[in-house]
Amino acid sequence: MRLSADQLDDLALGSVFLATGGGGDPHVPKLLTHEVLKRTGPVELLAPADLKDDAFVAAIGNVGAPTVSLELLPSDDEALIALEAFEKQMGRKLDAVVSFEIGGGNSLIPIMAAASRGIPVVDGDGMGRALPEAQMMTYAIRGIPSTPALACDYARNVTLFTTKGTEVYERHIRALAMSSGGMITTVEHGMSGAAVRDAIIPGTVSFALKLGAFLRENRGQAPALFEPLKALFADSIYGECRLIHTGKVVDKSTRIVGGFDVGNTVVEGFEPGTPPVEIDIKNEYLLARRGDQVLASVPDLIVIVDYETSAPINAERLRYGQRIAIFAIGCPDFFRTPEALNVVSPRNFGFDLDYVALEALPK
Amino acid sequence: MRIGIDVGGTHTDAVIMDGNTVITSTKVLTSADVMAGVANALDTVLGQSGLATDAIQSVMIGTTQFTNAIIERRQLAKTGVFRLCLPSGRGLPPMVDWPDDIANVVGRHTYMLHGGKLYDGWPVAELEPAEIDRAIGDAKAKGLKNFAISSAFSPMDPAPELFVETRLRAAIPDAQITCSHSFGRLGLMERENAAILNATLLHFADDVVTAFLTALKTRNLTCPVFISQNDGTLMNADFVRAFPALTFASGPTNSLRGAMLLTGLEDAIVVDIGGTTSDIGVLQGGFPRESNSVIEVGGVRTNFRMPDIQAIGLGGGSLVSPDGKTIGPQSVGHRLTTEGLVFGGATLTATDIVVASGHQAIGDPQAVSDVPGEVVETARLNMLEILDRGIDMMKPGAVQMPVILVGGGSVLVTGDLKAAREVHRPEHAGVANAIGAAIAQVGGESERIVSYQSLPRDAAIADLQQEAESRALGAGAAPESLRVVDIEETEVPYMGQETMRVRVKVIGDLAFETAGVKS
Repeated sequence: MRLSADQLDDLALGSVFLATGGGGDPHVPKLLTHEVLKRTGPVELLAPADLKDDAFVAAIGNVGAPTVSLELLPSDDEALIALEAFEKQMGRKLDAVVSFEIGGGNSLIPIMAAASRGIPVVDGDGMGRALPEAQMMTYAIRGIPSTPALACDYARNVTLFTTKGTEVYERHIRALAMSSGGMITTVEHGMSGAAVRDAIIPGTVSFALKLGAFLRENRGQAPALFEPLKALFADSIYGECRLIHTGKVVDKSTRIVGGFDVGNTVVEGFEPGTPPVEIDIKNEYLLARRGDQVLASVPDLIVIVDYETSAPINAERLRYGQRIAIFAIGCPDFFRTPEALNVVSPRNFGFDLDYVALEALPK
Repeated sequence: MRIGIDVGGTHTDAVIMDGNTVITSTKVLTSADVMAGVANALDTVLGQSGLATDAIQSVMIGTTQFTNAIIERRQLAKTGVFRLCLPSGRGLPPMVDWPDDIANVVGRHTYMLHGGKLYDGWPVAELEPAEIDRAIGDAKAKGLKNFAISSAFSPMDPAPELFVETRLRAAIPDAQITCSHSFGRLGLMERENAAILNATLLHFADDVVTAFLTALKTRNLTCPVFISQNDGTLMNADFVRAFPALTFASGPTNSLRGAMLLTGLEDAIVVDIGGTTSDIGVLQGGFPRESNSVIEVGGVRTNFRMPDIQAIGLGGGSLVSPDGKTIGPQSVGHRLTTEGLVFGGATLTATDIVVASGHQAIGDPQAVSDVPGEVVETARLNMLEILDRGIDMMKPGAVQMPVILVGGGSVLVTGDLKAAREVHRPEHAGVANAIGAAIAQVGGESERIVSYQSLPRDAAIADLQQEAESRALGAGAAPESLRVVDIEETEVPYMGQETMRVRVKVIGDLAFETAGVKS
């Protein structure tokens, strides 16, 4: 399958939905990717099954606090600079690139990089959604070393990382992101085609395209969209889909802490007397609660959409007064295994509660 | 008593109101010379009411001239754009995603320069005075007078924008400049776009405001003059000279508010049918429902807060195909009264259809007597269906809602609308916009740099809200009508932890008993 410039709108829309608030705003990366694809022609979207066992693949994306990307604009050559520095360091040319995560900007960066470099992009990602930290990627969970990794910042400064373990790597790239204006592009997790197949959440790029087309064609109020959306997810690697709340944002507070957007939002119900829903944010929407009752938690997906159009709203665009709907969606099975929950359960984000799968929570 | 004036693309309306009561109203065509229409409308209402000019306490004007200038790409000045962002944003110059037709009129005179700030206050790059002066020199050589200046994180630190502004003024003393930090909120490209759209309108704004003030002065109206802005509050006229872009979407806001006053309905769909389009909006609790998405004005992404309006291409001047099956979006607009069949013209328009079907007696009904009956019926039903579809898209939920028809084109609705629970055609519906302008609200803003460590966030916001409320009260707002419309927080670096710039905006109705807005 080939991915062309005219499919970028659908991909961006679908992947912002799956990004659960994080992943960065797609508008500017989309403009840049569009320009690159106009020059290079379509990019090949390669199914993981079609990767050769000994192919050389790396993951690429942006690391930082999404809020800063509203002001600190990316450039059209950052991804390529990072990619070429990585190849030079490894002494080997890449056969394909793959996404960290399916998330607004971060689902577009690999496409821009692949097009600039003339190689395919793998259909899948390392999260099946967006999550804030490197050790939460399937590649890391499956034991693939994250480094050597190369980072490029807004001023074309290039930094090499060779660290012991992904947790340390995460701390180091976060520190670099913080001192580089809050956003860097990294190339990491150099791996074989066989390793990609073992670790990847497959098919998420093509699913994001399908979801984006669905949201575009069915643009309208969230409750009306719910049934067909539920059917779309039931027939995917995600499964359960619930409409957990509709209402108005009455508080939104996030700050840049340690290189992340951290805070929460309170959403009052439309029906008088409905208790408000509170959502905790660390780049992504992580935990939805009504009073003491958990409605959904990470690693399951919490998605906020505009009530009228069902267009997903990233956390950095969420603001006081918006009328919204909140969906909760089951995560891919990979993230419900003990090895994955070891790094992505609510406790890993500082919440004093164990993960309960969405299907097991009261509606 | 107050006068409300609405300057639309097709009609200029005026009303005189005593509190919530309409004393008199008029509707005249917007002439090619817009101010002649305004003068005409003013003279008509003053004459009809027999009031002395000193009985008028204030004049409120709503105008779509600036929105229309952007949409129609006219009256726009060539504008130079300076953005301080390098070395970030390579390959993403200002106006990169603008439609070519407007970008070519405004000109792509863009200059990307080193500078701007990072989120933590560190410079993206140091300013390079020589580079800035070269860009200014180039702009000067091109003869540019209008300028927009943007800089990364300028809502947090406007210093880089101000530096360029000062140098620009020194080099080009008659420069008209808009800095992006005046338009608040984070989002460099949208904020920059707002600044460019504003800057390109500055000369036109000067002409429009001067003409308004002259029209009023020559009639001895010396009371305060206000112009309504997109959030339904009032600005004094001189403020509009500097910020014409703040009037974008004030038209729909005024029409929704006017419809609310005329019917007393706080939750309803409002369909404002003009000469070229029908604008469909939603009243919720008496106020326009706001759009959540990034707002495009004339195809340009901006960061304005605006009502959620669905504009469909059906109005009184819409062209009707010979078989009646296609109506609009092309329209004869304000030339309806010369080009429509019933006005002696040669073009079959939506208005001709409602005359031919016997629902209205406008102009010369004989002129449409030979339009075949089946064409008339097809076109008439077609119009209802177009409106039904538009209303259905805007309804909040599956339940039917009351629909309020306003605007001169509401005569096009000749039967039931399936999407409506009931249809209201209030008296004075034709001048709802002018009524909305006359009842426009007053706002109070309060902004402060606060450390949440010394003053907890809840207490800080409550404090600012109280301050904004007292300013709104001072401007004449009724206490029970006050509500918070915006809370904005921007982190301020290098001032200790949890230091934020917090802005709260409160708006409220003018209290009629104590009428008399302070300027």
